Amino acid sequence: MGVFVYLPLVLPLTALPIARLAEQHLHPRRAARLLTTVAVILASCSLVCLGLLVVVGTAQLPGNPLPDGWSDDEVREAVPHDAFAGKASILALVAVTAACGFTVRRHYRFRARAHRTLAGLPGGGDLAVLPDDVPYAYALPGSPGRVMVSTAMFTALDPAERRALLAHERAHLEGRHHRLLLATRLAGCVNPLLRPLGAALVYSTERWADEEAARVTGDRRLTARAVGKAALISRPAPRGAVVAGFAAAGPVPRRVAALLGPVPPDRGWPPALTPAGAAAFVAAAGTTVSALSALNAAVALFLVLEAATTTPL
Amino acid sequence: MDTEGTGGERETPARRRGQGELEAQVLSVLGEATEPVTAAWVLERLGSGLSYSTVITILTRLHAKQAVTRTGPKRPVLWQPVANEAGLAALRMRRLLDKQSDRDAVLAGFVSVLSADDEELLRSLLAESGPAGGPGDPASGPGAAPTDRPEG
Repeated sequence: MGVFVYLPLVLPLTALPIARLAEQHLHPRRAARLLTTVAVILASCSLVCLGLLVVVGTAQLPGNPLPDGWSDDEVREAVPHDAFAGKASILALVAVTAACGFTVRRHYRFRARAHRTLAGLPGGGDLAVLPDDVPYAYALPGSPGRVMVSTAMFTALDPAERRALLAHERAHLEGRHHRLLLATRLAGCVNPLLRPLGAALVYSTERWADEEAARVTGDRRLTARAVGKAALISRPAPRGAVVAGFAAAGPVPRRVAALLGPVPPDRGWPPALTPAGAAAFVAAAGTTVSALSALNAAVALFLVLEAATTTPL
Repeated sequence: MDTEGTGGERETPARRRGQGELEAQVLSVLGEATEPVTAAWVLERLGSGLSYSTVITILTRLHAKQAVTRTGPKRPVLWQPVANEAGLAALRMRRLLDKQSDRDAVLAGFVSVLSADDEELLRSLLAESGPAGGPGDPASGPGAAPTDRPEG
């Protein structure tokens, strides 16, 4: 399998251009789906290869339960730098498993707590209005999902803007954006090189919900105003200073600008000769190569291990 | 709707479960009162085998959360709810939302935090977009240029 076992660990780099360009050149719905698909496939390939390295690494540990033949020279030669990579991969797999478990657990625990809290609120329906002087609005996934809005947020918006806000939050729930976000977050846990895709996806899902809200209300300008107003009344949190400096124009002004512009074209694939087209092509090629490499490495290791097991000592 | 019949299926330790629920119960009892009442009155209405000191503890905790007010140093101390059940739900939700990392792991918020530059950019975008700057616009920050403010 040679270097093929390492390729999927670095190939997520090929997805970085599309993570940067998708927001400007693709319809947000397509961008979100593309980013998620690419992230999940690349993460799966990384995980397969990590698993293969762990097998080779574990076989070398004294007292391991694997067949003795698996630590033969032929097996070790199949992986370059096997001694280091084997041990490092064991640590990496432990870290990945812990991070994924933590992420999933935190996700569901928060959801359960939030739903339990909302259950104490009089009045049913999917909308929960919470008497609070801090303005916020969130979509809380679940079955059924809830939209929770604080009274401070509601009173700051006029009725038409409230409709836009609700349409935005409901679009998150109907589009099941939390699943895409969780999948991509887990992908980022498996391979940290995939984290930028997660950040890009957060933006894409917001834009997607914005476009849905604009479609439902039939007024892009109104939706833009609702987003802008909501952002202006939301006081920066004390620790918000950490968030502040990382981008030239933050996500909210970009969203508002996009809403004030025309409806984004909903075409299948960006034209090949544009930067986005090239970036999408690079990402697709990287994903394909990653899948093939993982497959190659898996088959190669399987054959080597089978040979090592059946060969008499 | 019943506040006392719940809790059968939860597996968290009874103590932990108890706190939030007791706070909710005390608040709902206080909500029934038409005027400020004593802790003894609350205890009587609760009638679920709690001790007087437990009720005082819960009331003190609710006071710390600004969910109830108490009269001054004069005895007996009288208590009055600031928030009802909805208010308590809101308080708890705030506590959940304040854990930023947990919140970001699950929720898609309507808007994220603005930097000072963002704020300026956003104001100019909205000003260009049309008539409504919004009545609630607080002109904050020394960076806001007064000349940019559209006057109708």
